[in-house]
Amino acid sequence: MASRPFPLPAPGRLCLLLALPLLGLILATLQAHEGPLQGLQALFDSSGRSRDALLLHYSWWPRLVIALLAGSGLALAGVLMQQVLRNPLAAPTTLGVASGANLALMVATLMAPGLLLHGREWVALLGGGLTMGLVFLLAWRRGLAPMVVVLAGLVVNLYVGALAMALLLFHQEALKGLLIWGAGSLSQTGWDGVVFLGPRLAIGALLAWLLLRPLAVLELDDASARSLGVSLKHLRLAGLGLAVFITGCVVSVVGVIGFIGLAAPNIVRLAGARRLGQRLLWSPLLGALLLATTDLLLQRFSGALPTLIPTGATTAALGAPLLLWLIPRLKLTGDQPPGMAHALGQRHPAPGRLATGLALLLSLTAAAALLVGQTAAGWQWLSTNDWGVLEWRLPRLLAAAGSGVMLAIAGTIVQRLAANPMASPEVLGISGGSAIALIGAIFLLPSPGNLTLVAAGTLGALITLALLVILNRRGGVLPERLLLTGVAITALFDAVRGIVLSGGDPRGQQVIAWLSGSTYYVDLNSAVIVAGLAVALAVAAHPFSRWLDILPLGAATARALGMRLDRARLALLLLVALLTACATLVVGPLSFVGLLAPHLARLLGFSRARMHLLGAALVGALLMVLADWLGRQWLFPQEIPAGLVASLLGGAYFMWGLRRL
Amino acid sequence: MPSSLATPPSHALMAGLFGLILLLVSVDDAHADAPAIATLDWTIAETLVALGTMPRAVAQIDAYREWVGEPGLATDVIDLGLRTQPNLELLASLSPDRILISPMFANLTPRLSRIAPVDNLELYTPGTDTWQQLRRLTRRVARLVERPAAGEALIEATEARLAQLRERLPGEQGPLLIVQFMDARHVRVFGAGGLYQAVLDRLGLANAWQRPTNPWGFSLVGLEALVDLDARLVVVEPLPVGVAKRLAGSGLWQALPSVQDGTSIRLPPVWSFGALPSARRFAELLTTALEDNDGV
Repeated sequence: MASRPFPLPAPGRLCLLLALPLLGLILATLQAHEGPLQGLQALFDSSGRSRDALLLHYSWWPRLVIALLAGSGLALAGVLMQQVLRNPLAAPTTLGVASGANLALMVATLMAPGLLLHGREWVALLGGGLTMGLVFLLAWRRGLAPMVVVLAGLVVNLYVGALAMALLLFHQEALKGLLIWGAGSLSQTGWDGVVFLGPRLAIGALLAWLLLRPLAVLELDDASARSLGVSLKHLRLAGLGLAVFITGCVVSVVGVIGFIGLAAPNIVRLAGARRLGQRLLWSPLLGALLLATTDLLLQRFSGALPTLIPTGATTAALGAPLLLWLIPRLKLTGDQPPGMAHALGQRHPAPGRLATGLALLLSLTAAAALLVGQTAAGWQWLSTNDWGVLEWRLPRLLAAAGSGVMLAIAGTIVQRLAANPMASPEVLGISGGSAIALIGAIFLLPSPGNLTLVAAGTLGALITLALLVILNRRGGVLPERLLLTGVAITALFDAVRGIVLSGGDPRGQQVIAWLSGSTYYVDLNSAVIVAGLAVALAVAAHPFSRWLDILPLGAATARALGMRLDRARLALLLLVALLTACATLVVGPLSFVGLLAPHLARLLGFSRARMHLLGAALVGALLMVLADWLGRQWLFPQEIPAGLVASLLGGAYFMWGLRRL
Repeated sequence: MPSSLATPPSHALMAGLFGLILLLVSVDDAHADAPAIATLDWTIAETLVALGTMPRAVAQIDAYREWVGEPGLATDVIDLGLRTQPNLELLASLSPDRILISPMFANLTPRLSRIAPVDNLELYTPGTDTWQQLRRLTRRVARLVERPAAGEALIEATEARLAQLRERLPGEQGPLLIVQFMDARHVRVFGAGGLYQAVLDRLGLANAWQRPTNPWGFSLVGLEALVDLDARLVVVEPLPVGVAKRLAGSGLWQALPSVQDGTSIRLPPVWSFGALPSARRFAELLTTALEDNDGV
């Protein structure tokens, strides 16, 4: 799939190149202890009883071996997934296996800790398998097309991440151990991890070798493969099942390790390993070397810090730039008219009337949200003498509605721009970028005020936007490449979040609260500003509706109609970024309104761009107002952030709507 | 939490004694019209309880019971919801006289101050003497609830008790290493700037952990970081699920000197970022454990 030749050395030489610094690091560490000979001796027995020998035997050597094992396992899983799905971007992390395993372990810790006593790995395996199943369900209708699979994976990752956030918000103290695991630490305290992982990986490698010839057939297209008498379905299932098993085993021992599974196979391929057999041989080797070298470097440089820098999140953070570098080098099918489900929902005969109805519903809901609520004395209508409560309710209502409108419009534009029903502003990574900046502000500045936080968030969003524009300038703005850039930025955000939260700093609670997307921090002034901005930007989006009608028809049609594609895309992109940044600052990066509102509007029957924008804006506002109110009442006095409730509701809708995608 | 916690036998007695002292402390001006206080911070909440001024409202009461435990909150204290996002409507409807927060919640100040005067009380500021800061905190809280005498009494009672415990300790105690397990491979080690260090200092015990700590007074490290240190291990519970079993199979853990000779200590949960009441409870538990284990 990567077609141009690259100035990388052949895979064998590449591995050798990496093996040298690794060997150097190993020798340097051993020298620092008791010398290479004694160090080697400590590998086999600890009877020397000296502290150094103990440390080497029970911690350092097992850690090195587990790093090599885990790296090769993840790379092997990556090769299998990429081969089966014919997708260079498939990997344990992008398909949601890792985040699913993480969520499953959290749920088990809180609800059935007994399960963890026998068989952590099975819990992780089950969670990972289920989320990957979900990703496939989402992408099934589009024939598991590479882009759709990756986007579905991203959406599922975000959704599962939102659920994990909800659990963390309420149980931070109980889950603090899992935060370390989720960020992937290779630290070892004995040989039990190696004893567990080694045989399982050996079995996995053996099975992969057995599958080698049938899987190689998958490089042909479906028809030719079938004509060779291969049952594609069973073959794919076997390949993926094996990949998930290997990932599950690795993940249950060392936690979530990002990007090795994605990077190693791709680097090996770019280095010239075209045939499956070659890739199956070199990728695991490269993966092992990459992870072990990163880990040894980390051990060397993070020793003096009072906190742990988890290896898994670090490789993910290092991998994000790599993915950004990789994206322009992948051949993406750009300009063909996409087979998007335009028939999604019947076109309504009188969209104007429908919009009026929605607006009416919105006002009713808003009124109810203002007037009904719980107090210390139970459910109450607002009586005439406590208008004071409105001081708290009105800003939240306005902010919820405003951010709902902004996300919905942004979502509508992105979905039409990318001609992809899976696109949304969350997916573009702008939310993630502003979140990284906010985390930085909370942790690096002493007791930051709200104004500082807003400034930091805006800065982050702008930097991400600049990055998006710069990376996509060359060769025109391709929707797919745009979305992939979003995938990389979101991955970077995940890594930063993982590193920060795993340290166990009590301020993490604040980060989690903001990340889960709440209207909580809005006061009346900023709420009025948000609502005003929403209306202004909505009006600003209006003149673009002709472009938005044409763009989904494909680049060729658009050009034939005289559109300056690049300029149109860039203008729309800027508008989206602005809308997303404003909304993210209010409700955090995880709400799904930008994904859902355009969908719902289309289902209701708004199909022309102008009406689609209007309908989505109304639906978005309604969804957020409802979510905000529900979130405040559901677990009273605890408040579930509106963004989380919206994604919980939205998730239910999403599963139901799967068959339509 | 598992029910098989190795609670020292005298634990209940201690709690009883402590309760009695609290009662005595609070008798002197219990009739004064105590202001209604709401607080988001558990450390401030436990100080308030110890001063004999039950707060009107505290955030995340269930979690307080689980992680701070003692001193206990009265059943009629109102739960404000999450610490980072207290329910403002509810808080406003209670019309408290004061709201006490710690710097961690500083970004809420503008909103909270619309409801009642907000006091931001510093605790665990890096670079300051923890014990002195805890004294200052206690005094400030006591002044805010208009019971300065109770504050002085609490400080005196705590310091006197700690001095008493110091006398009781068997002589020649080696350095200790206070850890809390995050999972089977990672621990928080408590050192400079934390509550436990402050208590160790007052008890005249040495802490083996001399490496840099974060602003909250702990380092997060892998178990391997403990191998170099010649110290008696003090494990503060709760142990996460499955950790005990995994430790039994861990060569490194088994090779730690105080695990090998069976002198390591387990203590019931104490809030690691607490104020004087938690400090005192930790001191009581630690002293008792050191006495009990000393014959072994």
